[in-house]
Amino acid sequence: MEITFGVLLWAVRIGFLVLLYLFLIRAFAALQAALSSEEAVAARPSGIAHLVVQRSVRGAPRVGERLPLRAVNAIGRDAGNDVVLNDEAASAKHALLEFAEGEWWIEDSGSTNGTLVNGEVVRSRERVQYGDEVAIGRVALRLEQ
Amino acid sequence: MSGVGTNIRALTLTLAAMFLVASVGVSYWTVFASDALANDPFNPRLIALTKDRPRGAIVDRNGAVIASSDKTADGFARSYKDRSLAQVTGYASVQFGLAGIEKAYAESLIGQDAADPVSVWKARYLGERAPAGAVVLTIDEKIQKAAADALGSRRGAIVALDPRTGAILASVSVPTYDPNQVADPARAQGAMDQLNKAQDHPLLNRATQGQYPPGSTFKVVTAAAALESGFDATKKLRVDDPYQPDKSWGDYFVRSASHAHGLFDMSDGFRLSENIYFAQVGLQIGGAKLAEYAKRFGVGAAPKVELPASGGQLSESGSLDKPTLVADTAYGQGELLVSPLQMALIYAAIANNGVMPTPHYGAEVRDADGRVVRQIAPGPGGQVISPNTAHALTTMLVGAVEGPGAFAFGGKVPGVHVAGKTGTAENRPGEAPHGWFIGFAPAEAPTVVVAVIVENAPDGGVTAAPLGAQVMRAALGK
Amino acid sequence: MIGAQRLPVPRTRFTELSLLFWVAALAITGFVAVVAAETSSFGPAAIAVPVVFLVLMLALHLFLVARRFHGDQVLMPIAAGLTAIGLVLVQRLASDLVLQQLSWAIIAAGAFAATILIPKDLTALARFKWTWALLGLLLLVAPLMPVIGREINGARIWIKVGPASIEPWEAVKLLLVVFFAAYLEEYREVLSRSPRRIGPLPIPPVPYLVPIVAMWAIAMVVMILEKDVGATALFFGIFLAMLFLATGEAFYALIGLALLLLGGFAAYQLFGHVHVRVDTWLRPFAEDLRFDAGYQMVQGLYALANGGLLGAGLGNGMPERIPVVWSDFVFAAFAEETGLAGALALLALYLLFLYRGMQIAVRAPTTFLQLLAAGLAFIVALQTLVIVGGNARLIPLTGITLPFVAYGGSSLVTNWMLVGLLLRVSEVSNRMRGGP
Repeated sequence: MEITFGVLLWAVRIGFLVLLYLFLIRAFAALQAALSSEEAVAARPSGIAHLVVQRSVRGAPRVGERLPLRAVNAIGRDAGNDVVLNDEAASAKHALLEFAEGEWWIEDSGSTNGTLVNGEVVRSRERVQYGDEVAIGRVALRLEQ
Repeated sequence: MSGVGTNIRALTLTLAAMFLVASVGVSYWTVFASDALANDPFNPRLIALTKDRPRGAIVDRNGAVIASSDKTADGFARSYKDRSLAQVTGYASVQFGLAGIEKAYAESLIGQDAADPVSVWKARYLGERAPAGAVVLTIDEKIQKAAADALGSRRGAIVALDPRTGAILASVSVPTYDPNQVADPARAQGAMDQLNKAQDHPLLNRATQGQYPPGSTFKVVTAAAALESGFDATKKLRVDDPYQPDKSWGDYFVRSASHAHGLFDMSDGFRLSENIYFAQVGLQIGGAKLAEYAKRFGVGAAPKVELPASGGQLSESGSLDKPTLVADTAYGQGELLVSPLQMALIYAAIANNGVMPTPHYGAEVRDADGRVVRQIAPGPGGQVISPNTAHALTTMLVGAVEGPGAFAFGGKVPGVHVAGKTGTAENRPGEAPHGWFIGFAPAEAPTVVVAVIVENAPDGGVTAAPLGAQVMRAALGK
Repeated sequence: MIGAQRLPVPRTRFTELSLLFWVAALAITGFVAVVAAETSSFGPAAIAVPVVFLVLMLALHLFLVARRFHGDQVLMPIAAGLTAIGLVLVQRLASDLVLQQLSWAIIAAGAFAATILIPKDLTALARFKWTWALLGLLLLVAPLMPVIGREINGARIWIKVGPASIEPWEAVKLLLVVFFAAYLEEYREVLSRSPRRIGPLPIPPVPYLVPIVAMWAIAMVVMILEKDVGATALFFGIFLAMLFLATGEAFYALIGLALLLLGGFAAYQLFGHVHVRVDTWLRPFAEDLRFDAGYQMVQGLYALANGGLLGAGLGNGMPERIPVVWSDFVFAAFAEETGLAGALALLALYLLFLYRGMQIAVRAPTTFLQLLAAGLAFIVALQTLVIVGGNARLIPLTGITLPFVAYGGSSLVTNWMLVGLLLRVSEVSNRMRGGP
């Protein structure tokens, strides 16, 4: 079969479909790559900062425990959190403690009893300095280097 | 993570599920329902196919043109040259779609026969449609004309085929119609309305779809069943009109057409078409055996042919339980219904050493250069009866035409031995019976089988037989 | 400073650039196929339009690089790819409109750039929520006004601004999402406490109940007065979705859906135009409909059937038989010419867009931004589902168009602004957490 215009046109049409799928696959791959690197960033430990337990209840980490921190830490009662506090007064997903732009930030994740920093209720996103005390449920934690 | 995150995930999942449903919906229309829609006669793509490009021609076995696409000012118009083949060719209409051979060989007629996958592929993906060639039918215009002339304006059908191959040589169904009117977009609607309203159903192809009681022509089936069960054809049976085996039948009697009294053997039974003889044979072999052979001969199953065909029935219930029904069925009445094509095939089996051929209207598909793209030769069916039975029956059928007092004398063709049988089938009370004749010739090595039915002919088979002879004469070149 | 693990902001947005390369290949191939089929030859005129478009996309990319933009790199190429497919289809189906669509694409790119630059702080958007609500309402009723409003194809949803006709409700979609995101964030804390219940069923407290009923009333009014069933479905859908996102109570969404169906049923009985739509959906092949009101649907289905698995080939089908195919039935036209394979790929692109949008939403640092991003992604997904569902006869046909792909200027502009906003949200997340 000789290469007529018709055959070339058909090849271009098939080419379009092929390119469409290649684009789709590349976009999906890019998406997965972005996702995994974002997760990697979140999981990276942030160095030597810790939360030291000041007050606690039975079942939660003991007073004096040094809990290591990562760049992003989910705090709550649920076992899937980065910092697990087994206090009934704490919500399953209680708060988020993050290190960004050189500062520590805490945000309440919609908890029932609220999150306090140095006794003040956390409204939106609050900065946490070293030495500040974070209260979650009946557990108090101090941010230390 | 806050609760919103969880909700987002839940919503995303729901949406993804809905995307899946949408995908299934789309695939339904693109893949599963696509054939039905593609063949919808109102689909502009289909209309473009029929109007903007010439359709292939339909020709008879010798090349005589039966249907062609002629160029007009407004695209291409389909024209049909032989009205007697109207139900065979069918029509190709923009409004009403396709029927008949136009439908059965639709792809071949637009140059995309399945046997040539390259052309199919080219048409679909390159938009190049090969110019269509032709579909060659097995019909022989000479024989067709003879059949059409023979039947004339009488309502009924004639079908002639070659018992060795199943090729259909002639197919006439009266009343017929003018397919040119249906193919013409301007006149189509009016024409179709008329055709659909007509009481005598001209659109029906009586040759393949007509369902009639076979009458005496069915006796070959009874005879075949008897012979293959060891029945002695030479044994004489007592025939006294009217007949009933015992008082349990009450007022019910089998009647002889000639009020016969005497001793008959099977040859006599054929020659003189003796109902009482065959009723007794039927009762002797039993309803189950008779039903079995009817089934072997294809009664109740539609023959596989390119046009719509009906299968008839052995009885309302499908079996022969009551003795009165057995007796009636044995001589061709009862609740039997068959089509002319089915009867032709039954006799073709007898003519063809007991092997029933597979009928077909199409012979070949050719491309625009005349080269054969595909041969249509479906091959023989099964061995329905043994060759010995077939020969025995043939001999008796010759006697039915040539023997003394033969009812089927009208089927004689000078210079040739014809094997055949008439039938006068009673149908609705008050109406004249249908007249049948089925014959094949030459009896020693048959090359043509003809089945004729004339509806409501007062003389029954006597009317039909000469018509069959005319067709056979044309077929044999006499 | 303790091990500040901050990633350097990348100088180049390489992923974005490499994806745009694929978009370029796609656009050029598509145009060549379509124009060659029209003119039966391979001429240079075929690539004039795609080249202009690709230069435009490249300009946007360089703009983002120059601004050291730290946001997502996948959304913009997907949007570009969909817009390119749209241009190919407009060339195929209504070639006299392709220059218009290209102009709209340029305007859309400008709007996108504007969204990247202003406002400086996204959270400011939340502060003006009542302004947005009012503006949205005004835009919504504008088509009913005597001087500027006009009725096209039986629906009174257009306004004339200079030489162009625009559909203001496209912008209303965005305003609605911003408003709801802000409103729901504010009341969410109050309402996260256990809601009052009657038996097992939660009853929305008053701050929720009021807007639910108000929204429903507005939706019904819009549908009645402006004769646009699609807009109603969309508004209500957006509202219900955002309600669910904020509260997590699927039950509210179900109630809302029930209300919508109830209102729709009433409308079916009372209003001719709704009645016709539903009838056409249920029995388009009926004798009285197939050549009249159902003609478009029937032609659309013929087109889908002709597509098969691999399509009839770009330029090879007969989608032009579908009335107004370039805006209402682009999906069917695309499916006819690229088959089920092409149609599924297109759907997958939208799904990818949705997926990425929702990811951005999940990662957003504040509730407002989460709701905003999720709502925006939801708009695109819902629109796509509604129009594909209509084309495939799963639901009645509506006037909604396929985002990015269908012909329509206002739609293109607002959708690119939508992409801009999503990119802004992802940038906020990345800046806070040092993402890629």
